[in-house]
Amino acid sequence: MENLQELLHGFNIAITMPHLALMVIGVLLGILVGVLPGLGAPNGVSLLLPLTFGMQPVSAIILLSSMYWGALFGGSVTSILFNIPGEPSSVATTFDGYPMARDGRPTTALATAFGSAAFGALVGVILITFLASWVAEVALAFGPPEYFAVYFLAFASFVGMGGAAPIKTVVALGIGFAIAAIGIDTVSGSVRLTMGVDELVKGVNFVVAVMGLFGIGELLVAVEEEFHARAVSSKIDWREVFRAVGRLPRHSVALLRSAAIGCWMGITPGGPTAASFMSYGIARRFSRRGRYFGTGEVEGIISPETADHAAGTSALLPMLSLGIPGSATAAVMMGGLMIWGLNPGPMLFVDQKDFVWGLIASMYVGNIVAVVLVLLTVPVFAALMRIPFVVIAPLIVIICVVGAYSVSNSYLDVVMMMGFGIVGYLFKKLFYPLAPLVLAIVIGDKAEDAFRQSMLMSKGSLGIFFANRLVTCLVVAGIVLLLLPLALQLGRMLLRKPALPGDPTTSQEKVII
Amino acid sequence: MISRRALELATAVLTGSFGVAVVVSSLDNGIGWSSAGVESGTFPFLTGVIVVLGSLYNLARGALPGLTLASVPIAITPTELRRLAGLFVPAAIFVAAMPLIGIYLASAVYIFVVLAIPKHQSPMRSSMMAAATALGLYVVFERMFQVSLPHGALAAAFGF
Repeated sequence: MENLQELLHGFNIAITMPHLALMVIGVLLGILVGVLPGLGAPNGVSLLLPLTFGMQPVSAIILLSSMYWGALFGGSVTSILFNIPGEPSSVATTFDGYPMARDGRPTTALATAFGSAAFGALVGVILITFLASWVAEVALAFGPPEYFAVYFLAFASFVGMGGAAPIKTVVALGIGFAIAAIGIDTVSGSVRLTMGVDELVKGVNFVVAVMGLFGIGELLVAVEEEFHARAVSSKIDWREVFRAVGRLPRHSVALLRSAAIGCWMGITPGGPTAASFMSYGIARRFSRRGRYFGTGEVEGIISPETADHAAGTSALLPMLSLGIPGSATAAVMMGGLMIWGLNPGPMLFVDQKDFVWGLIASMYVGNIVAVVLVLLTVPVFAALMRIPFVVIAPLIVIICVVGAYSVSNSYLDVVMMMGFGIVGYLFKKLFYPLAPLVLAIVIGDKAEDAFRQSMLMSKGSLGIFFANRLVTCLVVAGIVLLLLPLALQLGRMLLRKPALPGDPTTSQEKVII
Repeated sequence: MISRRALELATAVLTGSFGVAVVVSSLDNGIGWSSAGVESGTFPFLTGVIVVLGSLYNLARGALPGLTLASVPIAITPTELRRLAGLFVPAAIFVAAMPLIGIYLASAVYIFVVLAIPKHQSPMRSSMMAAATALGLYVVFERMFQVSLPHGALAAAFGF
């Protein structure tokens, strides 16, 4: 019950005119970056980051998180109306959303998507409301070894469950860690890995990496195919909106299952993209109408959308209570938290109650604002899609350049951003996952500190990671996850089962993650 | 035309050499255990080693034909390559020109060139968009958010 009281207090903070205005601005900007191919939630949030430095942390996080919700919704709009996913996590929505819209039911498709998305987000927020403070309480007792074990578990779950080739994930993680180590070492004060470039002493800011990897990289992938925005009608029939939402409870099994998948994938850092694909795949397998999937099935829209938003929302749970972001966007937000002088992790729930509960309350309000705004603005943003890509692409390049430059007024950052762009393109093209790379850049230092402090405590013995039951469990779980892909492969080889004949979802999954 | 295999190999070599650079560079900081605890090169050294090993694995997988994930033998077709270059080359020139002529002039020229030269838009509309972009950047950053963007060596020579 204490949680509910805190939540009410949070609503007092969230529902004020300035904060509601910030939510509207954030959601609209979010829909904008969600709609534009080549700009996504991680980029949008990092672009806004420098503008929040003068704000109260709680206002800043409300703005950024609202942008995140807006981007999640915006990605679905283009998926359904144009068959062009504005966000990687809304790719699975195109499978059934676009066919349904093409068959003359765009309003039904959009309303179903938004309704189930709102449900997914709601489940995610409820989970955060009741679980986050409890997790934080447990984590308060954590020492450096436990922290390192949790980080280890997070990274291992990327390898074991991320869906991309495990070794490619490991390489992406390693590169992220190395990039995080560039600059002054926080423990000894010595300068590391600058390779003779003096300016690198300040380190590589994650915003620079995000701009390049997600901005330029995605743009390069997008430019390869010429977009033909064959729009279906974007007119909204309001009565049909309510009818479609009213039909949602009939699919309560799919809703609940997808929400559960989404929450699980959000908390363990699998991320919204993996969640939406997994949910779609499972829905197709278990639904009675599974073979109609891909032709405009309602559950084919419900499943990815619910999971996408549930994962996006619950990705903030480990960020708040443990200091481990569950998605790339959450990683960027966490970087923001550190810049605002907050220390993400369990102490937030003790020191920064207003911040935490203001944010959680704003998630409830922000998602409602997002649903309303996205429905109202569908025609506007649909019109935006008719601007040719050749006009939008150079503008996005300029936005990324300015974004990278303004982090610390450094030209080197711009050059590095372009370099990250090439890396991002190669990685996307070859199915190396990008989220672990960003995650490692943001929390690499913290993981290293935890490791070194543990080593100091134990005078150099690795035995400290098996010193008590909790830390042993975490480490063992991490190792199991690391070895999971290997075990699966061995199992498959032993059983000599031929590969499942052409499963389109899994191949698609590999393409995106 | 670039094959999937070539791209896999190139990327593995790229990540691998980054790993080697990290390993070599972290040796300068010292690795292992000292009286002050874990030395500062240790963690980067380990990640470097992991990156190198992982890259070697990816390299091998990319090189062995039977083992590749590549169901598509061609990664980038000539048309795609042309489109890629069409986006990236002007962008790279734009970034290279920034320190000299400043971001406002560079972005205006960049927008004009990518729109007018391939005839996506008429010269008139292209120049309008170019001017609007530069003006928009100036108003938003220099005026509204008080963020100074690079004016360039040329502007400095004229005393701006």
